[in-house]
Amino acid sequence: MLQASYFDGRSTRVRAVSLSVAGEDLVIAGEGIDFRVPFADVKVDERLGLAPRSLRFKDGAFCEVRDLDGLDALLRSTAHRDGRVDRLQRNLRFVLFSCVACVAIAIAAYRWGLPWAAGEGAKHLPPVIGKTLSVQTLKILDGAILAPSKIDQERQQALSAKFQSLRLQEGGTPKSALLFRRSPQLGANAFTLPDGTIIVLDDLVTAMGDDQLILAVLAHELGHVHGRHGLQLLLRSSAVGAFWTFYIGDISSLLAAAPAAVVEAKYSQQLERQADDYGAALLLHNGLSPGLLADALQKLTESHPGASKAGFLSTHPSTDERMRRLRGPWAAGPASSSMR
Amino acid sequence: MENISGGESPTRISSARAPEALSFTGKGGEYFGIWIVNLLLTIVTLGIYSAWAKVRRLQYFYRHTQLAGSSFDFHGSPIKILIGRVIALVMLVCYNFSVRLQSSMTLVILLIVALVMPWLLRNSFRFRLYNTSWRGTRFHFRGGVAGSYRVFLLNGFLTLITLYVMAPFAHQRLKAYQHDNSYFGRTQFSFHARAGQFYRVYLLLLAAIVAFIVLMGVAGVGGAFSTMFQIQRQGGRVDPALLIRTVLILYGAFILMAVSIGPTFRALITNLIWNNTRLGEHRIECNLSPLILIWISVSNFVLVALTLGLFMPWASVRLVRYEIESMRLVPASDLQEFEAAEPESLGAVGEETATVFDFDISL
Repeated sequence: MLQASYFDGRSTRVRAVSLSVAGEDLVIAGEGIDFRVPFADVKVDERLGLAPRSLRFKDGAFCEVRDLDGLDALLRSTAHRDGRVDRLQRNLRFVLFSCVACVAIAIAAYRWGLPWAAGEGAKHLPPVIGKTLSVQTLKILDGAILAPSKIDQERQQALSAKFQSLRLQEGGTPKSALLFRRSPQLGANAFTLPDGTIIVLDDLVTAMGDDQLILAVLAHELGHVHGRHGLQLLLRSSAVGAFWTFYIGDISSLLAAAPAAVVEAKYSQQLERQADDYGAALLLHNGLSPGLLADALQKLTESHPGASKAGFLSTHPSTDERMRRLRGPWAAGPASSSMR
Repeated sequence: MENISGGESPTRISSARAPEALSFTGKGGEYFGIWIVNLLLTIVTLGIYSAWAKVRRLQYFYRHTQLAGSSFDFHGSPIKILIGRVIALVMLVCYNFSVRLQSSMTLVILLIVALVMPWLLRNSFRFRLYNTSWRGTRFHFRGGVAGSYRVFLLNGFLTLITLYVMAPFAHQRLKAYQHDNSYFGRTQFSFHARAGQFYRVYLLLLAAIVAFIVLMGVAGVGGAFSTMFQIQRQGGRVDPALLIRTVLILYGAFILMAVSIGPTFRALITNLIWNNTRLGEHRIECNLSPLILIWISVSNFVLVALTLGLFMPWASVRLVRYEIESMRLVPASDLQEFEAAEPESLGAVGEETATVFDFDISL
C-alpha cells in the first residue's frame, strides 16, 4: 500500500490516496476515489534525486508520490523499467566516469581544440573583418595610450623603405604599412594589428639604434602577421570570455573577463615562438643572421632593467630561452622544418 | 479497496491565512550526478542533448520547490526546446556578426532581430508559464503581441534616446506586462509596484556607486599623500610594503564593489517586484538580503573557479535554495480553490531565444 496525493488536473484540490497493483492494473483508492487503470497507460516520471515522482494518467490527472523506495517496490511488480539515462544518473560509477570524461574533454578542448579553432577561424575570416577591427583598435589606442611619433619624417621613411625591401619567402603574407607612434606606457615595443599593420613605437627605435636590429624585430612581427596571431588571440579570448560569461553567468562581466586575460598571456608564448621562427627564417632569406633578433632581444632586456611589466617582453617567453633558440640551430642553416 | 481517509494524509493541506513559505529540498550532491551525466551526453551529442538536459534541470529544480506540501513541475518538451535553441543560435550568430562587421546588411539584420524579438520573448513567457504547474494546475501567460512590442521595442527605444533615464520606467512596465498577464489556472496575477519605486531602487544603487567612487578617490589621494610623506621622511626611499598594501586595498575595494552591485540590485529589485505582486487575493512576500546574496554569489564564483567548474551544481542549488526560501505566499483564502483553465499549447522558440539573449533581468 503506497501513500500518494491525487490531483485531477483541473483544480488544486489534494486528495490522499493509496496505490497498489492488481494484476496488470494500478489501483487508486482514497477520499471519494476508487478506480483502476491498466499500468501500460500510466506514465511514470523519472527519478530526480529525492524529488517526488508522479504517475500520470491519460486524462491529465496524476498521483504524486514521496515515498520513493515504496514506489520502487511497487514498480518492481509491474512491467515498468526506468529509462536508461535515469539509471545512469544514479549509477555512481557512471557519474564518476562522466566526471573524469568531462574534465578530460575540457582540458583537451582548451589545450588543442581552442588553438586549432582560433587558427582556422583566423585563416578563414574574410579580410574585411581584420580591416574593420584594426581601424577600430587603432582608433581606441590612439585616443588612450598612443601619441604621434616624434621621430622625424626622413628617418621614418628610411625605416619604412628598408622594411619594404625585405624579401618575403615563398608563401609569406604580403607586408602592409608601417606606422610610427610614441607611448610612454608601452615603452620599447612594436605590435601588429589584426589586418597586418605593424606599429613601431619611438622607444624601440631609440633602444635598438642599429637599423638591422629594428629589421629583426620587424621580421618577428611579420611572423605574427603571417600566423594572423592578432586575430587568433582575439578569437581565443572572446571564446574563453564568452564561455565563462555563459558558464558563471551573472556574477560580473569584469570577473568573467579575467580568465580571458590570463589565457591571452599564456597563449602568446606559443605564438611568440612561432613568430621568432618565422622572423629568423625571413632574416636568413634576406642574407641576415637570425642572431640579430637575439641581439635585439638582449638590447630590450637591457633597456628594461628588472624585467619591467610594460613593453615588448611582457607577454613573451623567457628571453634567455628565446635567445638560445635563435642563436642555436639557425646559425647552422635554415631549419625550415620548424616553420609553420 | 480500503478507504484511507482516516489515516494521515501524505500532503499537508493548508487551512487558510497562515503564510506559506516556499521551500527547496534539492541537494548539491544529488544534483551533481544528474548534471554531470547530462553534461557528458550533451558534449558527446555535440549539444543536441542539451534540450533534454535542460528539461531535466528545470524538472529537478521545480519538483524540489514546494509550496504548502506540494511541488511545482515542468512539462516542456525537449524537442520544442531543441528547435527553439537552433533558432536562437542562428539569431545570435546573425546578431553578433552584424554588430561586429559594420556593413550595409547590419541595419537590415538588426531591424529584423528587433522586429522578431518582442514576439519571441512574449512566446517565451507563454511557453515557460504554460509548462509550469503546481498541484496539476498550469500557469498561463496571456500578454498580447502589441503589449510586447510596446514593452520591448518602444520602451527600449525610449530608454536609449533618454540615455537610460527611462530605464527604471521601462523595467517597471516590463514587469507589469509580465505579471499582470500571468495566470495560475483561472486566477490572475496582478502587479502593483509603481515606476517611482523602481526609480528609488535604481537611484539608491547609483548613489551607492558614486559614494563608493568618491570614497575610493579620497582613500587613493590619502594613500598617495601618506606615501609621499614617508618618502620625504625616509630621504627619498619608498617602503615597498606600504605601497603594495595601498594598491591591494584599493584593488580589493574595487573588486568588492564590482561583485556587490549585481547581487544587491538583484535582491532589492526582486523584493520590490514580488512584494508588489498578487495572485488573485493572495499576497506574495519576498525578502532577499543583499548581503547574503553577495556572499553566495562571491563564494560560488570562487569555488566554481577553483574546482574548474565542478562546483557548479552545488553553486546553483545554494543560490536557488536561498532565493526560493526567501519567498512566501500569504493566502487570503484556502489554496484548494484554484481552478485550471482550458488547455492551450504553443512552441518553445521564444523561450530558448530569451535564454540565449538573457533579457529577463529578474527571476
